Amino acid sequence: MSMFDGFKFRSVNSSVHKMDPRAKFIYVCVMFAVAVMFSQIIPLLVLLIIQMPLVFAARVQKEWLRSMKGAAGFAIIIFLMNVFSLYFYGNYESLSAIVERSFALTLRFMVLIESFSVFFLTTSPDLLGLALEQSRVPYELCFAFTTAVRFVPVLAEEAQTIMDAQKARGLELEGGSFIKKIRNYIPILIPLIVNAIRRSLELAETMESRAWGATQNRTNLYVLRMGRKDFLLMLFSFAMLVVSVYVSLNVQIPNIIYLLNI
Amino acid sequence: MPIIETKNLTYTYPIGTKPAFEDVTIKIDKGEFVVLTGPSGCGKTTLCRCFNGLIPHFYSGKLEGEIYVSNLKVVNHPIHELAQHVGMVFQNPENQLFALSVEKDVAFGLENLGISREKMRERVDWALKITGIYGLKDRAPYELSGGQQQRVAIASVLAMQPEIIVLDEPTSFLDPVGAQNIFEVINRLNKDLGITIILVEHRLDLTSKYASRVMIMDKGRIILDGPPKEILNSEEARLIGVGIPKVTRLYQILKNKGLNLNEIPLSAEEATKGLLEVLRI
Repeated sequence: MSMFDGFKFRSVNSSVHKMDPRAKFIYVCVMFAVAVMFSQIIPLLVLLIIQMPLVFAARVQKEWLRSMKGAAGFAIIIFLMNVFSLYFYGNYESLSAIVERSFALTLRFMVLIESFSVFFLTTSPDLLGLALEQSRVPYELCFAFTTAVRFVPVLAEEAQTIMDAQKARGLELEGGSFIKKIRNYIPILIPLIVNAIRRSLELAETMESRAWGATQNRTNLYVLRMGRKDFLLMLFSFAMLVVSVYVSLNVQIPNIIYLLNI
Repeated sequence: MPIIETKNLTYTYPIGTKPAFEDVTIKIDKGEFVVLTGPSGCGKTTLCRCFNGLIPHFYSGKLEGEIYVSNLKVVNHPIHELAQHVGMVFQNPENQLFALSVEKDVAFGLENLGISREKMRERVDWALKITGIYGLKDRAPYELSGGQQQRVAIASVLAMQPEIIVLDEPTSFLDPVGAQNIFEVINRLNKDLGITIILVEHRLDLTSKYASRVMIMDKGRIILDGPPKEILNSEEARLIGVGIPKVTRLYQILKNKGLNLNEIPLSAEEATKGLLEVLRI
């Protein structure tokens, strides 16, 4: 679970947390596009480092490191897979070229993880729901989103309770083959699902009792307003995009092995 | 003019073979504090669902007889319209909070009604202050205790400024201290704001001193209805097995042994006072 911990929102009083989710979302999209644009080590390394000030400004280094550590396992797999496939199917002249390219692609993965992690670590689901709402996503969908996020800890706790209860009755969760392990979880899943359905009925009742659907012109307690910092971030994202497009079209990016003359 | 009036109300759930409650005829006046009690499965919850239109609008099934709430014929008005007159608080506090902060939850009903932001802010703060949870307004629901969550649920319906608040066993998930706090909040709503309260509760020890009227249901019928002292002291109440307050029971035992208190007590304070009066002689 350690990798997902690196994406879980934590309330910290920082300027990055206060930024408009829409601005941050644009930033993440740009990062994504730029990372996909390049497949050389140098620009990807720059992308990885350029995001770090944001992590420190948000004071989420610890959680961010955890997400990177969690992603490391995947990164190794991606690296090995790349080396393997490039060795057998690519036409590279040397092993070092293959290693370099694989490393670059792994870096790309880390850049993506980094920007997603920053986004989810610093954006409260409440604000995210609000951003969706203000982007004219139908309210029903936004509501479903925030409610789902709200019930994650509740369901996790419930799953734990059910697990303990079933274990107390002698259910073995560990051991056995892969298929057996999955089947072991059926006695946990069924009560969990039944409870969730029952819960949803109660929720529906409460919603109805709070005048759900009374008017088409629903209002909202909060409004998102873009501030100076949000515009700065968007400006930065836009500049990144322009520069990257220019560089990728016009600049021959040297390879590390070429620089080191291996 | 009663604020809630039913005439020969009978309801059967779609999957039920016999009515959940039948032939209920009651009149509740504005400002009353009604405690509704009775054994589990006697139809209390089902009856409450009629007060804000969950029956017949949310639950299908067969509803016979008549019911008026705040002069509205329940059958003809949608739930969201009735919700502005009748607030509903349910048993499980966890399932009544949708948002990720307390404040946002309290605003939920007002947002649905399309109330302007300034007015909403005012009412949300007001409701939070009355229920004593203003300090928690930025917390997430899972950071709160059950008692606090239930107070958020009460604030959420209070913000919609209903004339009636119906609470269906609001304390069954809470510890005694949490329950006591909830009852005090409810009592304040009734005494200070004049909101009509219908409280479904088993803990009569804690609630009967606040009530102006007690109704006891059994097997789908209202069998006792009247002032708390009279109802709780009756032989029928004890035989149905509702948990009549211990001090009231003490009064009965003392009476059987030949010691008469001047008044039927409903709380420990009243009992102490009564005992002192009698024993000083």
